[in-house]
Amino acid sequence: MAMQRTILEKAEPVAEGAVSLLLRGTDGPLAPWEPGAHIDLALPNWLTRQYSLCGDPADLDTYRVAVRHDRLSRGGSEYIHLFLDEGHTLDVSVPRNNFPLLPAPEYLFLAGGIGITPILPMLTAAVEAGSSATLVYTGRSLATMPFADELRAAYGSRVRIHATERHGRPDFAAEAAALGARTLVYCCGPTPMLEAAEAAFPTQQLHIEHFRPTAKKFAPNEPFDVHCARSQRTVRVGAEDSMLDALNHAGFRIPSGCREGVCGSCEITLVDGEPEHRDDIGAPPGRMYCCVSRALSSGLTVDL
Amino acid sequence: MTSHDQLTTITHASPQARPRRISYAEVRARIGEPEDMIKRKVRDRLDRHARRFIAHSPFLAMATSDATGLPDSSPRGDYPGFVKVLDERTLAIPDRPGNQLADSFRNLAENDGIGLMFVVPGMREVLRVNGRAYPTDEPDVLARMRTEGKEAELAIVVELTEIFFHCGRALIRSRLWDPASQALAGELPSIGEIAADQFGLDADPRALTDMLEDDYRHLY
Ligand code: FES
Repeated sequence: MAMQRTILEKAEPVAEGAVSLLLRGTDGPLAPWEPGAHIDLALPNWLTRQYSLCGDPADLDTYRVAVRHDRLSRGGSEYIHLFLDEGHTLDVSVPRNNFPLLPAPEYLFLAGGIGITPILPMLTAAVEAGSSATLVYTGRSLATMPFADELRAAYGSRVRIHATERHGRPDFAAEAAALGARTLVYCCGPTPMLEAAEAAFPTQQLHIEHFRPTAKKFAPNEPFDVHCARSQRTVRVGAEDSMLDALNHAGFRIPSGCREGVCGSCEITLVDGEPEHRDDIGAPPGRMYCCVSRALSSGLTVDL
Repeated sequence: MTSHDQLTTITHASPQARPRRISYAEVRARIGEPEDMIKRKVRDRLDRHARRFIAHSPFLAMATSDATGLPDSSPRGDYPGFVKVLDERTLAIPDRPGNQLADSFRNLAENDGIGLMFVVPGMREVLRVNGRAYPTDEPDVLARMRTEGKEAELAIVVELTEIFFHCGRALIRSRLWDPASQALAGELPSIGEIAADQFGLDADPRALTDMLEDDYRHLY
């Protein structure tokens, strides 16, 4: 995967338990991005983590991300909060966008906590494009909600801050009842919030972004064959193997990031066969994420 | 068979011929008393340096012993920071699939003493931690150990009583981090050859090594 070298110019708190990182490219302009995009951040402890870009897309000298220190951190956010110092060099991927903002006359943005990060540039872009846009921003308390003040200052009543500690959860059913037919809903936040949004809003109008894999159940793994059309090779994927590992072991160099079906770095092109998509991105037709996805048919043909 | 057979016949020395045993007092007399500064460096909780060390350590040696005091040491390794800090006196070590012998768990059931030695590649000093330990399946602890979509099944909670940095002389003398030292591995038979020999297997050592390599692909 194409990586870009950056230097951590500034790490500053943006809310209780959340820091924003300003990453300056060291080798000329950084790769451009659109609202909703994320980057992989390669940490010194060998972990790679995905963070939504929340800066200004017009600024190609720096990227900005914000990171919440997760109480159950597996070593990504904890590392960033406790050990990553300003001045450190960090490799980041080129931005990928699994959560693009489609044109619409009206938007409803729903953000929960650190889930505000992809929504922030989306809201700006929507307003700049002259669409009407509302943000319902939910968090435990105001102090835990990154960028709440600057959002209110910039967008006034378009932004409705909802502190669950005082007001409970926002009423998505009421929002859905008032939803215009051409309004698009973009939602990013913790799993219960995503589930509530899925229950309340019409699927065709709702776009959500997952940070974490959702709990899913699948039939037990079966081995299958991957035919690599371009190289004329067949790779066996054992029941215990991921397709990603099997392909890499066979010498294909497939990039990977999260290895749990949320980031999209391991995307490959499917030529034939019936895949079993196990990711949380929602693979477009003809694509699959081989870190988690497998085959429903006895074999798959891919473009490798 | 191979040249390894001719290598050594380990002679069992007769009791009279064993190396001389000396007392602790004699040892002290030879090496002297520790300096004050060295005595003081033992702490009973993590400080920020120890915490940072653990966050960058991908490997440790873990010593446990059974009820009779017979010790055992076993390697543990994963990505740096795989040992989680629960608070300034408590650590948690994930248990990943290994050989299922569970020697350490059996020992801990009989004797909860534990000794850990953390290393950071390239760093000559090591971090030593001693304390008491027990196994856990606490979901919040295991959740922090999820790697590549797989959770650790168990973890070992270590309540530390002593923690200190150990000087780098052993690692300097051993040239442990000198890449050239890796040539030493080339002087050893492959693990397949060792297994074939030790178990008296009439199998192709290369096939055994390949089998093991294949097994090594499933690390989580
Ligand atoms: S590696 Fe992230 S989706 Fe496959």
